[in-house]
Amino acid sequence: MAELVSTATAPPGAGRRPVWTSLLLTLPVLLWAMLMFSRSLLVPGAAPKIAALIVLAFMVSLFFLMVFTRATYRWRRLFFVSLGLLFPIGFIWDLLALRGSMTIPFDSVLTGDVPFCFLAIPMTIVPAALTSTIIFPGSILATPSNPHAIVPMIVLWLVATIVLGKGWCAYGCFFGGIEEGVAALPRTARIKTVDRRWRWAPWGVLAAVVLLSAATFSPTYCAWLCPFKAVTEFSEVNSLRTAAQAGIFSSLFIGLVLVLPFLTKLRTQCTILCPFGAFQSLFNKLSVFEVRIDRGKCTDCATCRRACPTLSLDAGSAAQGRAMMSCMKCGACVDACTKGAVVWHIKGTSISASPETARLLYLYPAWGFATMFGGSIIASSLEKMVHLVV
Amino acid sequence: MKALVEPALLGFSSGLVCLASCGPVLLPALAAAGAGWRDTGLLLGAFLAGRLAGYLGFATLAWAAGLALPLPAPMNGAVFAVVHLGLAAALVLFAVLPRAPRAAPCSQAPATARRAALARRLGVVGPAAMGLLSGLNLCPPFIAADVRVAEGRSLPGALGFFLLFFVGTAIWFLPFLGVAGLRRFAAVRTVAVLTAIVVAAVYGYLGAVALTGVLLHG
Repeated sequence: MAELVSTATAPPGAGRRPVWTSLLLTLPVLLWAMLMFSRSLLVPGAAPKIAALIVLAFMVSLFFLMVFTRATYRWRRLFFVSLGLLFPIGFIWDLLALRGSMTIPFDSVLTGDVPFCFLAIPMTIVPAALTSTIIFPGSILATPSNPHAIVPMIVLWLVATIVLGKGWCAYGCFFGGIEEGVAALPRTARIKTVDRRWRWAPWGVLAAVVLLSAATFSPTYCAWLCPFKAVTEFSEVNSLRTAAQAGIFSSLFIGLVLVLPFLTKLRTQCTILCPFGAFQSLFNKLSVFEVRIDRGKCTDCATCRRACPTLSLDAGSAAQGRAMMSCMKCGACVDACTKGAVVWHIKGTSISASPETARLLYLYPAWGFATMFGGSIIASSLEKMVHLVV
Repeated sequence: MKALVEPALLGFSSGLVCLASCGPVLLPALAAAGAGWRDTGLLLGAFLAGRLAGYLGFATLAWAAGLALPLPAPMNGAVFAVVHLGLAAALVLFAVLPRAPRAAPCSQAPATARRAALARRLGVVGPAAMGLLSGLNLCPPFIAADVRVAEGRSLPGALGFFLLFFVGTAIWFLPFLGVAGLRRFAAVRTVAVLTAIVVAAVYGYLGAVALTGVLLHG
């Protein structure tokens, strides 16, 4: 079987966009990034300024390259892997500074003195709306005694999800950046064939987590199945229960985030486990942006299927001319296709009607979100590192 | 009139809790079966019959022994362990093994046929066993009903009380029939099997820990 095709090439026949045109198209992103980082540029101290300038230049440069080369995946991946690497550094740094440890005492769990996780955002909406209760530590709106309001996070998530659909998983989720970085390390996959039925596993996990949480009145996923506790925070290991939990999340992290991505070049945690990703898939129905396959140009070479990091393309979906609902719009398949058959598309328009325009119209909100959310996280982590030398 | 309304209302008021506690087992089992409306109704009926048997069994015990729940801690732990280990086993036997998607080359045709035969035999036994075990869930409304029974009713009175309590809770399970509408989606069965695996693993762990606690600490 042919190896995973490099995703560095632009779609065939397109060529590079003229430099001045690319610069002009990048200008809105530059203005947005300056707005996002203006506060850091104005605060006293060199470290925040240096970090903000680095991230501003980084994000704007990557967008310019996406526009200039007409390719998406490898430039997005650079940002995404950086986010995956730097988020844990900054997060663990803060934990060590505040608590001296990554572990959380049970008392802190009881009082709700725990960091906020974006995975919980969708679950906070219904109880907040019906009972004015926040199931996560914080308040609905900011108060003097509790500045951590949940409404901004809900609004951010909702807008990003409606516009981008499951693009959140390709532009926002720092956990996915870790896997994507590991998957990029080997030149070829050592495990070349993965049963595509595994893509249904996250739905099974989501259903099980919802049912078990309702039955036990406990956060089943957070307590038992989240592999990213290995790079964030976790309960003190002082009982059989917490030892079992630590063993499970460590095994899931090592297996699904490190080993299997290395062996398969897939985002295996996202593909096989993540219930948040399964939930986000539903919003692909709302988003106007999608990946389609022009059957007139497609030769069924399966290059796109091999390039997809989440098994979101198979023979059936390709025959129907579309990616499956688990598609996170990372651009790997579009960039890999040598026939120009896999294209970005806006629902309601013709597939052949300017896919490059569809791509740019998707990239503006996606990169705007990435700059605001992921860029700020990268800047925060960089600032801490810069403090060591400045 | 009060004798009829009280247990039914008590059951209806606690039905949502029953739904939540039975959901992790019942929903994956029904969805994995991929049956039509009639067969889904039969499977749901078997589950509810098992639940009723559990309720009436406890009613008889409560009346005969004059027991008022909750039971002493070791017995509670033992019941918890048996229930959860049993549910895990029932899920694996009924929802997972007979329906686990697997390629079946000619040489493995007998194994596939055996699994299909097993699925047919377990057709109602599996859900009934799950219902029986789920019915042994010592939730607060159940305990409240048991306290009423233990206040000196006759055996027919005790059984009647729990029967009406059961009817009140069972109303909440009728929407599960809607699972039959999803049978045309093959992915739903795959997801249901995967859900059953996760739930069975969690229940198996909980049961094993509870059993270990009972054996070690009494």
